Amino acid sequence: MARGENQEAQTGNVPAAAPGPKPASAGAGKGAEGQSVVRRLQSELMALMMGGDPGVSAFPEGDNIFNWVGTIAGSAGTAYEGTSYRLALAFTAEYPYKPPKVRFDTPCFHPNVDAHGNICLDILQDKWSSAYDVRTILLSIQSLLGEPNNDSPLNTQAAALWANQEEFRKMVEKLYKPAA
Amino acid sequence: MELDDADGTCDSWARFCSLSNELVGGDGDLSVAVLLAPVVADLCTRGLTTLVRDYFLHSLEETFRNNAVKKFWQHFHPYRNASAVDRIKFCVREHWPEETLSRALEDICLEKNYQEKCVLVLVQALQSYEDRTPKRKFKTMDCSSSLMPRYQLMVSSVLLTTLPLSFPEILNVYFKKKLEELNTIMAGSYESDQLGNHEPYWDSGMDIDGPEVSESSYLIKNIGKVVRDLRCLGFTSMTEDAYSSAIIWLLKSKVYELASDDYRVPVLGCVKKWIQAVPLQFLHALLTYLGDSVDYDSGSSGLKSPLASRPSSFPGIGVPSEALVRWHMRLEYFAYETLQDLRIGKLFEIIVDYPESSPAIEDLKLCLEYTGQHSKLVDSFISSLKYRLLTAGASTNDILHQYVSTIKALRTIDPTGVFLEAVGEPIRDYLRGRKDTIKCIVTMLTDGSGGNASGTGNAGENLLEELNRDAENQENTDYDDHANIDEKQAWLNSESWEPDPVEADPLKGSRNRRKVDILGLMVSIIGSKDQLVNEYRVMLAEKLLNKSDFEIDSDIRTLELLKIHFGESSMQKCEIMLNDLIDSKRTNSNIKTSLLKTSQTVPGQEEAEMSHDVLDATIISSNFWPPIQTEDVVLPASVDQLLSDYAKRFHQIKTPRKLLWKKNLGTVKLELQFEGRSMQFTVAPVHAAIIMRFQEKSSWTSKTLATEIGIPTDSLNRRISFWTSKGVLTESEGPGADDRTFTVVESMSDVNKNSIANERLAEYQMTEDEGESSVASVEEQLRREMAVYEKYIIGMLTNFGSMSLDRIHNTLKIFCISEPSYDKTLQQLQSFLSGLVADEKLETRDGLYLLKKQD
Repeated sequence: MARGENQEAQTGNVPAAAPGPKPASAGAGKGAEGQSVVRRLQSELMALMMGGDPGVSAFPEGDNIFNWVGTIAGSAGTAYEGTSYRLALAFTAEYPYKPPKVRFDTPCFHPNVDAHGNICLDILQDKWSSAYDVRTILLSIQSLLGEPNNDSPLNTQAAALWANQEEFRKMVEKLYKPAA
Repeated sequence: MELDDADGTCDSWARFCSLSNELVGGDGDLSVAVLLAPVVADLCTRGLTTLVRDYFLHSLEETFRNNAVKKFWQHFHPYRNASAVDRIKFCVREHWPEETLSRALEDICLEKNYQEKCVLVLVQALQSYEDRTPKRKFKTMDCSSSLMPRYQLMVSSVLLTTLPLSFPEILNVYFKKKLEELNTIMAGSYESDQLGNHEPYWDSGMDIDGPEVSESSYLIKNIGKVVRDLRCLGFTSMTEDAYSSAIIWLLKSKVYELASDDYRVPVLGCVKKWIQAVPLQFLHALLTYLGDSVDYDSGSSGLKSPLASRPSSFPGIGVPSEALVRWHMRLEYFAYETLQDLRIGKLFEIIVDYPESSPAIEDLKLCLEYTGQHSKLVDSFISSLKYRLLTAGASTNDILHQYVSTIKALRTIDPTGVFLEAVGEPIRDYLRGRKDTIKCIVTMLTDGSGGNASGTGNAGENLLEELNRDAENQENTDYDDHANIDEKQAWLNSESWEPDPVEADPLKGSRNRRKVDILGLMVSIIGSKDQLVNEYRVMLAEKLLNKSDFEIDSDIRTLELLKIHFGESSMQKCEIMLNDLIDSKRTNSNIKTSLLKTSQTVPGQEEAEMSHDVLDATIISSNFWPPIQTEDVVLPASVDQLLSDYAKRFHQIKTPRKLLWKKNLGTVKLELQFEGRSMQFTVAPVHAAIIMRFQEKSSWTSKTLATEIGIPTDSLNRRISFWTSKGVLTESEGPGADDRTFTVVESMSDVNKNSIANERLAEYQMTEDEGESSVASVEEQLRREMAVYEKYIIGMLTNFGSMSLDRIHNTLKIFCISEPSYDKTLQQLQSFLSGLVADEKLETRDGLYLLKKQD
């Protein structure tokens, strides 16, 4: 899916000056660069809408295609079952060579999410690849909810409580404020 | 000397006191007057003039208060002490309160007259003193002349301070009763006048012969006397209040009586006539009697402004006094306002039976011109619309009919369309939310027959009429084609410019309300004429495909009219469709004659069971028709043969064109022959295909039959129930659970049994069948086109929670730019969204759309 995405983005890029996944393309004209990012995001939006993955969704906010609102639903069988979290995704003009900034908008009690909604997830930092897209980001975050990385917690309380799933679930529910 | 003087003063004072007491207390004897004069003169020379005057007035007041006033109020005691219920009884009594009132007034006036004489005595005494002492004239003059006004003031203040609360009420009742009496007297002459249809009866004044007139003048004289007495007691304003409120009350009841729930007669004229006939005559007589109206337009030029424009003479009154003119204006205004309120309150009903109720509309128009309370109309009508029309219970047809009537009615009231704009807005908004609006409008436009079962085809006819009228006016109108109007016309248009009414909303340009055009307003509900044309095309296609003859004259006419209104180009596809029909007719006969010729020469054809005579083909240019529902049906071999022969022949004639059959469409007329009976049907090809299989064998199971005909089993079951309901087939348990057996019913008695049992089912089935359409409806088309955007809509609502229609529309416009890019109108989006709401995918709350919670 993700690969298909990229190809589409590339074919869409044909008239633009800098096709291809080389980071060197930053050298090309800025306008053309921005244009190709917009086109890539548009096709990602289309793919996301048509793909219809259950439990994850995102949509550009207002008329700015660089800022998206995402929604993920807690997977069944995890402590987050029945909850739904709102995310904010901010893309830069370097996308997809730089990852978007992703943040929880809804307060989330999770070992890898801090009080401000910042997420500690490797693919959003050093492990980012231009092959990832909005859909994979959302799916990764969704699975992160059920499988936290307790080795590098941002929320130590949550990390400590993780062993006791029943109590953990209670805390999740207590701190959960569904989006309006 | 000083002492003597003081004694003299005391003496004189004592004499004055006793004399004046005698005078005031005495009953009608004024002989003491002679004695009083020297005493008064004496006291005046001693400088006690004011003391004299005050004492005298004081003693008058004492007497007046103790005797006359007490007695006067005592007349009204029974009423005052009565309970509310008893008071009503009083009012019903025949001569109450006129007898009591006039007796009481008589008494008190007698007493007052006497006292006035006493006052005059004193005045005379003072005056004679003044005459003799000219040097002090200035001061005493003042004294004697102010005596009478002071007395009058005293009388009214005594009465007003002792006034019982119920007195104004009594006066009111009195005037009401008297006016009613006068009204009935006048009504007699008024009605005879109406019947006789000659000029007003009272044209030469009040004192002409005739029993009613003398009776009424007597009555008015009585009233006038009472009014005069009341005035002289200082009740002027109270009296005026009482009779004006009585007149207003009577006028109001008269208006209510005349303006009943019958809207077919104009009432304004009657009301105006009545105002002239009764209250104005009354006032005229009263004012004349009281001598108020002597100022026959005497001067007062400064006050003329509002009155100058009024008619300068009334029938029977001549040149009216200013007071009368004021009264006239006041009464007419009140009548207008009352009638207007009444009509506005009932405007909804009036518009329901609009063409018949146009007199009421005319009345309302005149009233509104006078009162200018248009906003009242708008507010009240909108609220009644919301309450009574724009509800889920009202059918779209009814709403549309009411809307058309509203347009017509309000067009009469206000040709500029400002109020229509305000009133129409909620209706339009509401109609946009309904899915069948377009369909209803198109039906109203095209269905000139008015063949509605409910008998409300009236407005439908009117819409077609509207089309006609529009066609007639076409040459003088400039339908969105400004390039074509010649300069002369443009000049005429600009000449006829008028400013917008004051009530117009300045935010909206005046251009779009220049022409109150019903069709334009209808189209504006839909959003664009393209949508309307599209819907019309679907309906036309449906209609044409179901025709078994090629009679399309009425459709051609409708199309021509629509073409005039919407322009040639937009109706082009429809025109091609109609041309297809005309061509079909020609091609059809052409092919058939040629086929018949060949069949005569080819001997093999004779064995065919059916000749080509029975086949009529509607040949359509499918590119120009709306998408057509297709379903594969295997027709019986003989029919198939017939069709392929026909197609071959068509290809020969019209090379390179080929005929592709839509075998599931069309109609089949067939006759079924059983033992000793035959039945005729007109059915769909599928039904015919089903029943023809029973020629081969009399019993089929549904599964085998379905494969034979090439349709799914459930679809077959649905179709075949048509025949079971007609009693042609019977259904019985088949080999499998979902496999039924159908058998032909041969004997008559079985048929009856079956058909009775199935009668209800039959009705149901028929409606089902009618619901099956051959053309994809506009909604279906839209739905198909919108399905792509549905995911986007779901996506954005997932992330944003709830969104308004506008926001969804704009977001789609921004982000759906890849193929297929979003090109729908707001209205189309709205109708699509309401479809999603109906499917329980979305819900609306406070005008916002949100995802329906999946529980």
